[in-house]
Amino acid sequence: MTERKTAQELNGIVRLLTCGSVDDGKSTLIGRLLWDASPLYDDQREKLLKETASLHGASRPDFSRLVDGLVAEQEQGITIDIAWHYFDTPHRRVVIIDSPGHEQYTRNMATGASHADVAVLLVDAQAGVKRQTRRHLAILDLAGVRKVVLAVNKMDLIDWNKERFDAIVDDFAGSVARFPRLSWIAIPVSALNGDNVATRSQAMKWYKGPTFVEHLETVGSRADNAHESFRMPVQLVLRDGKGFRGFAGRITAGTIHVGDAVSDALSGRSSTIASIRTMDGDLEAARSGQSVVIELADHIDVSRGSVLTTEKGEVRTGRRLEARIVWLANEAYSPTQGYLLRTPTDMVPVASLKILGRLDLDTLELNEAATLEPNDIAKVQVDLARAVAADRFTDHRGTGAFVLVDAVTGAAVAGGVIREVSAGVAADKGAFLLSSELLWRGLCSDLANTEDAEGEFRRRANEVAIILRAAGVSVEFAA
Amino acid sequence: MTKPLSHLDLLEAESIAILRESAAQFKKLVFLYSAGKDSTALLHLARKAFWPQKPPFPLLHVDTTWEFKEVIEFRDRSAERFGFDLLVHINEDGVARNINPVDYSPSVYTDVMKTVALRQALDKYGFDAAIGGARRDEEASRAKERVFSLRSPGYRWDPRKQRPEMWNILNGRLGQGETMRIFPLSNWTEKDVWRYVAREKLDVVPLYFAKERPAIERDGQVFVINDDRPFLKPGETPRLIKTRFRTLGCWPVTAADKSEASDIDAVLDEVLNARNSERQGRLIDHDAVGAMERKKEEGYF
Repeated sequence: MTERKTAQELNGIVRLLTCGSVDDGKSTLIGRLLWDASPLYDDQREKLLKETASLHGASRPDFSRLVDGLVAEQEQGITIDIAWHYFDTPHRRVVIIDSPGHEQYTRNMATGASHADVAVLLVDAQAGVKRQTRRHLAILDLAGVRKVVLAVNKMDLIDWNKERFDAIVDDFAGSVARFPRLSWIAIPVSALNGDNVATRSQAMKWYKGPTFVEHLETVGSRADNAHESFRMPVQLVLRDGKGFRGFAGRITAGTIHVGDAVSDALSGRSSTIASIRTMDGDLEAARSGQSVVIELADHIDVSRGSVLTTEKGEVRTGRRLEARIVWLANEAYSPTQGYLLRTPTDMVPVASLKILGRLDLDTLELNEAATLEPNDIAKVQVDLARAVAADRFTDHRGTGAFVLVDAVTGAAVAGGVIREVSAGVAADKGAFLLSSELLWRGLCSDLANTEDAEGEFRRRANEVAIILRAAGVSVEFAA
Repeated sequence: MTKPLSHLDLLEAESIAILRESAAQFKKLVFLYSAGKDSTALLHLARKAFWPQKPPFPLLHVDTTWEFKEVIEFRDRSAERFGFDLLVHINEDGVARNINPVDYSPSVYTDVMKTVALRQALDKYGFDAAIGGARRDEEASRAKERVFSLRSPGYRWDPRKQRPEMWNILNGRLGQGETMRIFPLSNWTEKDVWRYVAREKLDVVPLYFAKERPAIERDGQVFVINDDRPFLKPGETPRLIKTRFRTLGCWPVTAADKSEASDIDAVLDEVLNARNSERQGRLIDHDAVGAMERKKEEGYF
């Protein structure tokens, strides 16, 4: 196979997630896709043929070995972690995110889903839709995937039976109806034989829809959000030593021009854009996706963790979030443990987390629950030690998601999407008042009164608050 | 400029955002610099990420003493040109024991002169995070890496314990004794790096361009002789062969390609139409199943 000469720069990127439960054939499907449709290198082809022949004496390559790159995966024949594969069509970059189906590794599937534009969900034609299929649907919906391909695999093992395929599709339609934001199509395939992957199946002439590859060529990547209102989470403040002070960040939504009015979500202060700087020169305008440095006309105090926006008050700020989360840690949620909430650029201690309901994977209803086990999906209310700037995930994806972090180990324990941001309750009466005066006097008396020390001060204050909260003391910060 | 961004624009913006997150979240950062094409592209991205400030980290090169001399020259020149502090670390114990790539297997040699050496250097300076130019398309176990890739105490990589990394939220919080490896080029391919080198008109080590060089052919592969240390086997005589490198490792274990591509356009053309993968010239990837994975578990970069 000769690769066509590729244009130097491609029109964007489409990210495809593969998921499905164990042994449904995900790795085989992706291996088959790479084998049939992508410009695999010759040495990779030869290596696969050689290895497969020596291992199984099989005449057909074991396509799954193209994607399961870890020794433990090859030994056990399962996918443990996501593998990322990249290939170019003449028009765009395709990224395949191959995720594990094993329930134990759901956190890795959730990671993959959060990066995907479109997902292929595999179902074994012999087994049909499983509990794990519904879990994956719920995670896809939560993570923001909007397009799904149901690939009914191993059609060869059910004699290419149309009635069986239709029954699976009906069953799936019942589950997917719970997630109205997902659009989907179903394709009957045999990943092992290649039927309806890159080539049309001769055995299933009853199927009139597109092959998997045909569908991939037409499915869109994530909608361009350059027309939305402007959002830029502030990562760093950069200076040139000669009076220039710029806010560095990656624009997550919208377009800005020099002279536009902007405001800082956390302080509520407004200014106008004096310049948009890059090492390659100043820009007149910048759009969603770009990393830039913005200089404001007025000297307002914006810091890491805030969000620049075009209209005052449009980004929500508050101390209470209503959210959907997927619990990713191996340990169950514990109310006595200290957690931190990480937005794209901010980190805030969690004062309390209340479970409003846990998703039942058989009925897809929310039920009452006292705790969260690994891989559970839940509706929660999170109260924070101070206000964050954030959006509803459905309004602005880039500023609408968060990760919960274990304050001690640093591990990410949950991923969440915001449904509502509100001011939250006033501090409890009787809460311990952790004032900056108190902190500067003792714990932080060794710190100089500089901007660098400010960060260390905040870190110590947060740690004290976490420890106190873990001990059951409710804590309030006072500036 | 509000036209849609190309895939290279998106990759550039993503890498810059990752570099900025690294600076915001870690106290003692280092940039692992090998002077190869990926390091070169990444260094350029780092200059962009913090402009008009200087990137807030030194460069660290783990020198095996068997690097191509052109690489060492380029390393020193780049650090000086862009005003970086350059730390060079050599495993002196390995040198004293004369662990070299000619007499020892690639895995023993790499372990002592690269993996152990890197651990020594990180211990010596106490870095909590190290930025590197590894890409997921290089090799199967690399394809599994996170952007912020956690290392247990002792710099060990445990693929079963990787942190979930959802959306574009990078979590750099460390537990006791843990460190982070950061890979801002995770989503780049070899082709992208060359497209970027061409687009940004970056200087790279001249070994990437074809030229007649003294070389031998051994087991179907071409090796360029870079100095006069013992390497040749009886009957082998170097002759001039027009070669270029796709990847640069230690000279006795990095095969060259016969090529006519002597400028950036020709190299780009060759890379975009390559029939073989980049790392087939790297002997260390091939000496055992899971070779790279094991090295990474032991702390290899």
